[in-house]
Amino acid sequence: MLSYILRRIASTLPVMAIVALFVFSLLYIAPGDPAVVIAGDQASPEDVERIRQSLGLDRPFLVQFGGWVWRILHGDLGTSIFTNLPVSAMIGQRLGPTLSLMIVTLLLTIVVAVPLGVVAAWKAGSLIDRVIMGFAVFGFSLPVFVVGYMLAYVFALELEWLPVQGYTPLSSGFWPWLENLILPAIALGCVYVALVARITRAAMLEVLQQDYIRTAKAKGLGQGGILFIHALKNAAVPIVTVIGIGIALLIGGAVVTESVFAIPGLGRLTIDAILRRDYPVIQGIVLLFSFVYVLVNLMIDVIYTLVDPRIRY
Amino acid sequence: MDRRTVLKGLAGAGGLALTGLSAPAIAQGGSARTLRFVPQANLANFDPIWGTQYVVRNAAALVWDTLYGIDAKLQPQRQMVESEETTDDGKTWTFKLRPGLKFHDGEPVLAKDVVASLSRWAARDPMGLMIIAIQQELTAVDDRTFKWVLKQPFPKMLYALAKNNAPCSFIMPERIAKTDPFKQITEYVGSGPMTFAKGEWVPGAKAVFEKFAGYVPRQEKPSWLAGGKQMMVDRVEWIVMPDAATAAAALQNGEVDWWENPIADLVPVLKKNKNISVDIGDPLGNIGSFRMNHLFAPFNDVRARRAVLMALSQEDYMRAIVGDDDALWKPLPGFFTPDTPVYNDLGGDILKGKRDFDAAKKLLAESGYAGQPVTCLVAQDQPITKAQGDVTADLLKKLGMNVDFVATDWGTVGSRRAQKTPPGQGGWNMFHSWHAGADCITPAAYTAIRANGDKAWFGWPNSPNTEKEIAGWFAAKSVDEEKAAIGRVNKAAIEDVVYAPTGFFLTYTAWRKNVSGIAKGPLPFFWGVSKSA
Repeated sequence: MLSYILRRIASTLPVMAIVALFVFSLLYIAPGDPAVVIAGDQASPEDVERIRQSLGLDRPFLVQFGGWVWRILHGDLGTSIFTNLPVSAMIGQRLGPTLSLMIVTLLLTIVVAVPLGVVAAWKAGSLIDRVIMGFAVFGFSLPVFVVGYMLAYVFALELEWLPVQGYTPLSSGFWPWLENLILPAIALGCVYVALVARITRAAMLEVLQQDYIRTAKAKGLGQGGILFIHALKNAAVPIVTVIGIGIALLIGGAVVTESVFAIPGLGRLTIDAILRRDYPVIQGIVLLFSFVYVLVNLMIDVIYTLVDPRIRY
Repeated sequence: MDRRTVLKGLAGAGGLALTGLSAPAIAQGGSARTLRFVPQANLANFDPIWGTQYVVRNAAALVWDTLYGIDAKLQPQRQMVESEETTDDGKTWTFKLRPGLKFHDGEPVLAKDVVASLSRWAARDPMGLMIIAIQQELTAVDDRTFKWVLKQPFPKMLYALAKNNAPCSFIMPERIAKTDPFKQITEYVGSGPMTFAKGEWVPGAKAVFEKFAGYVPRQEKPSWLAGGKQMMVDRVEWIVMPDAATAAAALQNGEVDWWENPIADLVPVLKKNKNISVDIGDPLGNIGSFRMNHLFAPFNDVRARRAVLMALSQEDYMRAIVGDDDALWKPLPGFFTPDTPVYNDLGGDILKGKRDFDAAKKLLAESGYAGQPVTCLVAQDQPITKAQGDVTADLLKKLGMNVDFVATDWGTVGSRRAQKTPPGQGGWNMFHSWHAGADCITPAAYTAIRANGDKAWFGWPNSPNTEKEIAGWFAAKSVDEEKAAIGRVNKAAIEDVVYAPTGFFLTYTAWRKNVSGIAKGPLPFFWGVSKSA
């Protein structure tokens, strides 16, 4: 297993290299110029050109790319064109809010979606099943920002239970941290809950038809034991897979959610960097995200071996 | 037991660690000594000479002081300067600094710091460049005195040093001001009433300013960038909110105290809230514009440009930008900010009265326009440019023009508009923008009115007559002379259609009613602003 993990980690290197080349090339040919943004709307073309030169944006593609790769190999993601801060420091500033949002959303999803899916499968065809699946369709259909605005209106403006926006670090206390994340996590989690609940139901339905479930029932096991110990464990592989895929969804959804709830996370940093053409920041974030994707896939593969002993690498 | 307590309890019942429980975020930061402000944009960098965006200028005005400051009557007033003298020939200016001025690192502000700061500013500022062009020397005479010797008089010297248009001549320590003006500074040691808390800066999310105990404000009442910059709060937090609806909700919920520029759509909701005050933020407003490329057909022919002006309805543009609120706009038969001391709209008849499409079509045909595509760049991520772009597309179609509507983002417009290649080869025919009214009072900082061909702003208008009249304004010595000169500039610029003004519009600002002292002006002034608990 250890050698498999090491091999998989090693295999991320060519993936990252291809991603790096792709992103750098894409940004190079994309329209837009950070020097224009820096110089301001009233700047003369000469001023814009002077800024381009001072930033090294007038150098040939290969020179720029070579310099960037060289810095990456030395563990340096570069410096933001706009803030003059190291990209790694900017990512570090934003990692906490995004990780917090993703963790809370993930926990919320697992706690809500998996039991819903199990119950829906258990009561397949009943009114409960239809209500749960109706909720799933609803969750799929509503855009994150619509859910976000509705939640903020009801729970922040009308009921005054929770804040509208912002982020408080965990170091300031658990409740202030959680309080800012409840509404964004629900908004972001809606699609995810719907997805996981549906997959859980489908996987459980298949498992509940198996002979060993009938045997368990014949042995007189309780319904809870059958559903959550025997059936759910055997339905876990597709559920774990979809949760893994969902992390990719979460990263995408975080961009919108962080904007709606003014959370200073990586999603907003990405949007800001793209709109301003802050190339080093965009490149750093894309590299980070691609690394996270690879890592999540690896984790899912490892989890497979834990939930299904038949799987070995 | 209220609901929040129940929620806290539920979290605790879940076995979650609640030790160190502090006040909920709703109540945090609500101290009367902390002002929470939502700025117009993200403070992405903090060098007001290197980056000349308005948001950087606004933040920098808290941290760095200027030698002179423009007041609400648009007059330059002494700020860091105690006195000034000019020789009879107007070529030598000698300035003396106020005693007791300090930088945020505790060092005194010396004449050598001023010399370095003015040199860096002048390299980037249009008026500064004019001064450099006639400069003989800029030297420190002693610790508190410096001298600017010119080869010819420059009557607008004090205005140049006082103006609020970016870049402002902020005074920094010499070691920082010696940074190449095209490279960003890395130290933020200021001379103004607030320090910049670099450690708390999260670009794109938050910037924090703290009261500087060593600042010595003037004794006069504050007026815009002039007078006593007395801070009534200890801390100002800038909280960046990319989403307008979120900012509106946060203001209603008391999570922020002041929102610089609420969008027109949300103002009715804010006005209904008894805890919120809403008023015009900047009486100098903005001037909408679309610029035509003077290098290529059809707009290289003045008749085509005039045809557009004849048909253009400023009301259509303004309603697209501000909606139904008539208090927020007015027609503008010219290029200069209305209701200012030197305003003059001489020659603006073509923009007044009923729009004449038949005459416009005839003039367009005379210009030789034969249906070639007109590349119209429209940034969709800026509500003002998007609204103007939609109106322009409709206008051009009504004129029988073939519109190549390029819907894109502001970053792309920003770089593409600099292309001098033909429209079909990466260039363009027109793009939309807007100019702060504070920049359009006179030609001093009004880049968009310049018509010196290759050196002009994007579109590269070449109107020797306009340039001649602008030079006449710079030489004017009294308000009456200035006003007459402005009229002549307006007439010449309309005749040659330097660009198409789409109207004058205002924006609101909104704040919680426990905040007082907010002044109307071209930027948010924080001195004199106080907050009750």
